[in-house]
Amino acid sequence: MKSTDKDENKDEKKQENKGEEVKKEPPTPLAEIKSNFVLIDRAVSTLEPRFTHRVLRTLTTLVKRLDETIIRNAIQEAYPKESTTKSTLISWLPTTSEDIEMQVDPTPTSAATAKFAAPVTSEPVPEVDIYLRLLIINQLLKSTEGVSKAKELSVETVKKMQALNRRSLDSIAAKVWFAVERAFELAGDISEARPMFLAAQRTAALRHDDDTQASLINRLLRSYLAYSLYDQADKLVSKTTFPVSAGNPQYARYHYYLGRIKTVQLNYSDAHTNLQQAIRRAPPATVAPGFYQAVHKLFVVVELLMGDIPDRSIFRHPVLEKPLKGYFEIVKAVRTGSLSQFQQTVLKHAALFQADKTHTLITRLRQNVIKTGIRRLSLSYSLISLKDICVKLHLDSEEDAEYIVGKSIRDGVIDGRLVHEKGWMACGGAGGVKRGYGADVAETFSRRIGYCLELHNQSVKAMRYPLNAHRKELADAEGAREREKELAKEIQEGDLDDEDLGGEF
Amino acid sequence: MAQNQLKTQYTDLKRSFEAKPADLKKCGSLLAKLKIGLIETGLLTPQGEHGVDDLVVARDILEIGAIWSIRTRDVPSFDRYFSQLQTFYTDYSSVLPPSKNEYPIRGLNLIRLLTQNRIADFHTTLESLPLPADAIADNQYISHPVNLEQWLMEGSYSKVWNARERAPVEEYKFFVDSLMGTIRNEIASCEEAAYESLPLKDALTLLFFNNQSELLIFAQQRGWQVDLSKSLITFATKGEEQVDIPKQKLISSALAYARELEQIV
Repeated sequence: MKSTDKDENKDEKKQENKGEEVKKEPPTPLAEIKSNFVLIDRAVSTLEPRFTHRVLRTLTTLVKRLDETIIRNAIQEAYPKESTTKSTLISWLPTTSEDIEMQVDPTPTSAATAKFAAPVTSEPVPEVDIYLRLLIINQLLKSTEGVSKAKELSVETVKKMQALNRRSLDSIAAKVWFAVERAFELAGDISEARPMFLAAQRTAALRHDDDTQASLINRLLRSYLAYSLYDQADKLVSKTTFPVSAGNPQYARYHYYLGRIKTVQLNYSDAHTNLQQAIRRAPPATVAPGFYQAVHKLFVVVELLMGDIPDRSIFRHPVLEKPLKGYFEIVKAVRTGSLSQFQQTVLKHAALFQADKTHTLITRLRQNVIKTGIRRLSLSYSLISLKDICVKLHLDSEEDAEYIVGKSIRDGVIDGRLVHEKGWMACGGAGGVKRGYGADVAETFSRRIGYCLELHNQSVKAMRYPLNAHRKELADAEGAREREKELAKEIQEGDLDDEDLGGEF
Repeated sequence: MAQNQLKTQYTDLKRSFEAKPADLKKCGSLLAKLKIGLIETGLLTPQGEHGVDDLVVARDILEIGAIWSIRTRDVPSFDRYFSQLQTFYTDYSSVLPPSKNEYPIRGLNLIRLLTQNRIADFHTTLESLPLPADAIADNQYISHPVNLEQWLMEGSYSKVWNARERAPVEEYKFFVDSLMGTIRNEIASCEEAAYESLPLKDALTLLFFNNQSELLIFAQQRGWQVDLSKSLITFATKGEEQVDIPKQKLISSALAYARELEQIV
């Protein structure tokens, strides 16, 4: 989501030199829309959602290259002259000066028109209508003035979709819901849309409309988390089942939201797995940098909370280096166990952490810093007075130091003893070396193996198989069986021969 | 008519609640009646449109109820009042004028979660507070439980002990007392691990006991050996614990690997 600003900048740039670009790039946006219409039509007539998926896959790249004129032309060509759908669709587009220009200079578009189709006489399928609406909403959302209009249109589109109630519409509907959320969010009132999402989610679940359901669950989670309603979000997760067939981007989001909820609930190891999944399923860093960064920010914090130190390579990644700078400093502070450095870093980057909603999580790290500090001391000294601990770790009083050390001994962070009369901590003992064998190793091993196995299973599940491919295999198997039979027959006959031979001897 | 009756009962309740000392018994019976009244007017869990004044009254009643529950030491009842108040605090926050009791009550709820050792719930509630993170430190009602939690987690028990006196509202002390019990057990378990022996005098200060007899009772409960002549507590060394090999677990995970491998090959 955070990448939108960047995207918009790119759009502007693109629009500036649109004039040349549109002509040069092999399929112009208009042509692409046109071919998408054909695909949608085929999808509807053959009841094959695959084609629709193909159309939607290009949506993001297509939207970036669109402008009002292109959409208008696409509408003009898709619908017969006196179509009411057409006029309503066009009425949603803002009338700008560009339109007049277009009428003055229609050369590139009309050329394209001539190439593609003769004037349409029949009304296209309603899916095309919804697809066009989706494009219009996305177009409207590009400018700030269009937001309220986009919101209106999105609400109307949703009503229309629900009235149409066509299964072939499902995957487009999922995308429409995303646009709806975007419109409401930009208008600043997602909470208004929540009842609508909830109702639609129930319907989608009843109809086994997996695409829409996945999309809607994510919408709802996002809106809950935006208002920090972790309780409700948690309940939603426990009451719904996320459709297994959902696409990777939806899964990535879902895992990210789950990770967020689990982190807040102090369930760090689960959060860790979820975030790992989210990272793995996320689109490449260069395509969706915003999501990639957001997930990694949380991931770093969760790793720290678990007592691990995140991999250094994360902070060298070109996409992550800059936005994660504050987090890198936190990691350094935690690693060295310096409470003052940690405090300073938190203060310095407070605004950043608050914007990322990780501030409260980072304040939880304080105890980890102390523990690391104590562990370092226990490794480097065999005897150290509580007063020195106090000074080195910047604790407030010796009394505190005693309790804190006592707690870390009990929690198994360090191996040592407190000698109260003399006021020191004695560290290390013969017993310390034994740990780390047996059960611990087995546990670590099983965790790593579990990770590998899950990776393997997930990738197997993510593979796609061509339809009807098994037919060929079946035919092969059939052939093999035939051959086997023949072989068996021959052997039998051979046996007989042998016997015969034997008989002769 | 129901409205009028509600109004008079409400002013009655307010009067008896604000009187010093408050008449808790009377408050209790009035609250029970008022709740029925609220249900009849549909204000207990408001849905849809209601007058702002009515909502404010309903909220006040529930707030008094929450504080009353603490004073009568009835935690489950506080829990119920608090969940009912949630509607007013979150859903109607844009309509209603902010209540001066809101943050004290939210803070009380946080402390309650802390004393019941529901740390996960504590953090969830904290995250969903409608406050920016830096305002938490400035809000004394909220910062109190937040600090307590932090000190508990890192082990600065003496700070918790000292903070007991600095409770922003009288009601906090009720929870802080029960918190002390938890802390003592925490400290005791730390001591068992960290010390071999401890003089009685020091144990007294470490565990925040006022006199030796209390300590002796406590030591007995935890099974410590107290040598009165040397005035020394010796903690039972747990000896070398026999580390069991978790056979069941190892077997099952080995089998699981085998099964997965079989699937892959």
